[in-house]
Amino acid sequence: MHRKKQKSETRPARRAGKAAGIFILLAMMLFLVTGCSGSGNKAITSLEQLSEPGIRIGVPSTIIEYDMLKKDYPNATVIPYTDSPLGYRDVANGRLDVFVYAREEMKLAIEHGTEGVKLLDGTYHSNDAAVGISPAAKIPNLQEKINTFIRELRADGTLEDMFDRWVLRSEYEMPAIPKTENPKYHLRVATSGTVMPYSYYVGTQLNGYDIELAYRFASWLGADVEFKVIDYGGIITAAATGEVDCIMANLYRTEENSKTIPFSETLFVVEMTGMVPDSARPAAAKSFWDSIAESFEKTFIRENRWQLLLEGIGTTLLITVLSILLGTALGFGVFLLCRKGNPVANGLTHIMIRLVTGLPTVVLLMVLYYIIFGGLSIPGTIVSVICFTMVFGSAVFAMVNTGVSTVDKGQAEAACSLGFTDRKAFFDVVLPQAMPYIMPNYREQIAALVKATSVVGYVTVQDLTKMGDIIRSRTFEAFFPLLVVALVYFILADLLTALARRLELHTDPKRRTKEKIMKGVKAGD
Amino acid sequence: MIELIHLEKKYEQTVPLKDVNAVINRGDVISVIGPSGTGKSTLLRCINLLEKPTGGQILLDGEDITDPKYDAVKARRRMGMVFQSFNLFGHLTVIENLMLAPREILKKTKQEAYDTGIALLKRVGLAGREFQYPDQLSGGQKQRIAIARTLAMDPDVILLDEPTSALDPTMVGEVQAVIRDLAGTGKTMMIVTHEMNFARSICNRVFYMDQGVIFEDGTPEQVFDHPQKEQTRRFIHKLKVLELLIDSREYDFAGAGTLIDQYCLRSDILLRVKYRIRLAFEELVQQILLPVLERTALHVTVEYSEEEKTATVIIAYGGPRYDPAEGKNDLAYTVLKRSISELTYQYTEGAELSNTIRAVILS
Repeated sequence: MHRKKQKSETRPARRAGKAAGIFILLAMMLFLVTGCSGSGNKAITSLEQLSEPGIRIGVPSTIIEYDMLKKDYPNATVIPYTDSPLGYRDVANGRLDVFVYAREEMKLAIEHGTEGVKLLDGTYHSNDAAVGISPAAKIPNLQEKINTFIRELRADGTLEDMFDRWVLRSEYEMPAIPKTENPKYHLRVATSGTVMPYSYYVGTQLNGYDIELAYRFASWLGADVEFKVIDYGGIITAAATGEVDCIMANLYRTEENSKTIPFSETLFVVEMTGMVPDSARPAAAKSFWDSIAESFEKTFIRENRWQLLLEGIGTTLLITVLSILLGTALGFGVFLLCRKGNPVANGLTHIMIRLVTGLPTVVLLMVLYYIIFGGLSIPGTIVSVICFTMVFGSAVFAMVNTGVSTVDKGQAEAACSLGFTDRKAFFDVVLPQAMPYIMPNYREQIAALVKATSVVGYVTVQDLTKMGDIIRSRTFEAFFPLLVVALVYFILADLLTALARRLELHTDPKRRTKEKIMKGVKAGD
Repeated sequence: MIELIHLEKKYEQTVPLKDVNAVINRGDVISVIGPSGTGKSTLLRCINLLEKPTGGQILLDGEDITDPKYDAVKARRRMGMVFQSFNLFGHLTVIENLMLAPREILKKTKQEAYDTGIALLKRVGLAGREFQYPDQLSGGQKQRIAIARTLAMDPDVILLDEPTSALDPTMVGEVQAVIRDLAGTGKTMMIVTHEMNFARSICNRVFYMDQGVIFEDGTPEQVFDHPQKEQTRRFIHKLKVLELLIDSREYDFAGAGTLIDQYCLRSDILLRVKYRIRLAFEELVQQILLPVLERTALHVTVEYSEEEKTATVIIAYGGPRYDPAEGKNDLAYTVLKRSISELTYQYTEGAELSNTIRAVILS
């Protein structure tokens, strides 16, 4: 009676919470899709105007122009963007006066439906695109080989043809390149997978200028090729540590980059210019439902992109579930060892846990992937599982420790005085009473873990977040894929915590029925 | 059955057990009494090996259970322990509390464990409570269940650590009844308690513990009625004691007055009794004795019995026989007489403080 009541009280509350969450999500979507318009824009018609005071300049945070703009235009506010489609959108709705990036890139975005913006004439700065080479590459004399290859390619006109096809004419057809039979080498290429038309996904296939270049080089070299898709934030590190042999990802050879890794000869020159609002052709007012439908089509249907999402969900789930299982075993196992362990072992455990909980997860992940397991070619997924097993394991250790300490010492003493061994007293008497204190925390940690795994893109794993990024790079849409990813995370976390909740009810000794307690016993009179 | 030899337990700050020696025979029902913090509970916990003794030996039927090679679990299976705070397993129903250890350790079948459990519940007067959880029971009921849980393992010895101290006064009786019933069955028992009347009524031996040793060990009559040691007597009669040593004529009598005031406040002594104690002290010491004594060396003891609510002033002094009743200070003696109910004088030949006056204060 008492228990039933409790249940029926919590259900509506949970449902209300869920409803509120979905409502907020929908409201966000509405706000973002319809966009918000800025006011008081200065109409910029040439690059010279950037020196005027009060100008807001957006620029991708990963390129060298970020620092140059700040130095060249001290009166302007330079805002870094991790994602250029977000910058285009802010130009269109007036939050930015200008967005500085590669001309061909931005042209492509406009062709693919970015509205209310136009490009300035003139060039702010030029960059040389080149191949980044790992100083620890497994292939001997790689730099020399790549340079010879590029020179040959330029000499026979192929290089020009490639640029012409992919970048200028937007022909996105991958030519047939013969695969190497009996390869002499294994070429590991880092690429971004998120920049059209250089390295991007069509369905689940990598495509683009850099991909063609990689296949051609592998064929020329007599090697088979393996692509590793890495965020720009970690791509240079990957080459520096020898995780890959070279980077083919529309990377610019700058002074700073050259200090870390060697580069090849120039492949082509990239011109940087500005994108400004187009007052003559403002973004066409589409109906809300039309734009949703279009976004939906672009995000899911076209090129079977839902497969990418599904794959990402699978990876995220795999990493999360494995980490939960292994982390639970690890945390609990360490707790059992430490429970009666000597002070030195306990001290060591605590230092380890301090380290794991004290580091940002993404740093721990990169340290594991690039430094600790750097020399061994262990896939990113496995390193991610190891990393999150450690993270979840230390959380489990802490929650079991706290939970067990809430149980009165007298309980174990009473069990021991009845003749239980210490271990048996723990499992039969102490732990069941600690469970109600452990489980709510456990549920929360599961929800936290699902979200925490979103950084595995740093170590070449293509999880849900990464797939969202890949799709975004193709649709040139800032928000719809992001919201879809958000919704999926929300559902995943909810599903997993619901499972944990079932476990919680199952382990609560006070929820057993009288029949279960009395199973196999005949009561007397 | 159990032999304690130079048993010692030391902590960093305190030494609850200094040197405990005793032999516990089969069938003994032993009450352990003594002031708080003198190691009574520690003694029980050491016998059960819940605390590890730091010195000495415990022999269980001749086997040294303090030997590091000895398996503590083996000793504990022969001893049951009842705790002050019950320590019932909160996640289990009453009947499961009784069934758990017999099933897990004695490997009884579920049915056997259940039947024994039900029988024990009847014995402690709690039949019909089997499916309640401990937090649904009163303190007295919990402690009776805890006793039943111990009995379910059929131990050779039962150790009870202040079983009624955490109880509401109205529930002490029901638990004592169960213990009394148990004591009648011939089980070896050791019970730490502050209820001296109860202890006296069930036990055949009493240990009086103080300062980490067993001060006195005897039958209830010996310990309660004819204690051999002053400390035991004071404890049994729940005496509060103040001792003053007056060794010169310049003694700080005003200060002594303050000491008596503080002592009375501490001991919850009535205001009028306090004035009478002070008056008796002043008349006897300052007016009657000091002017006539050759050597100033008086030992003054004030005792207050909480049980009888009476205070006694005892003054011992040396020198030749001097009975204040036969003295010259009639005025002081008359004043003194008004605040006391009884005055006795005793002369012990050859003792250092040969004269002793006992003045029982009027209450």
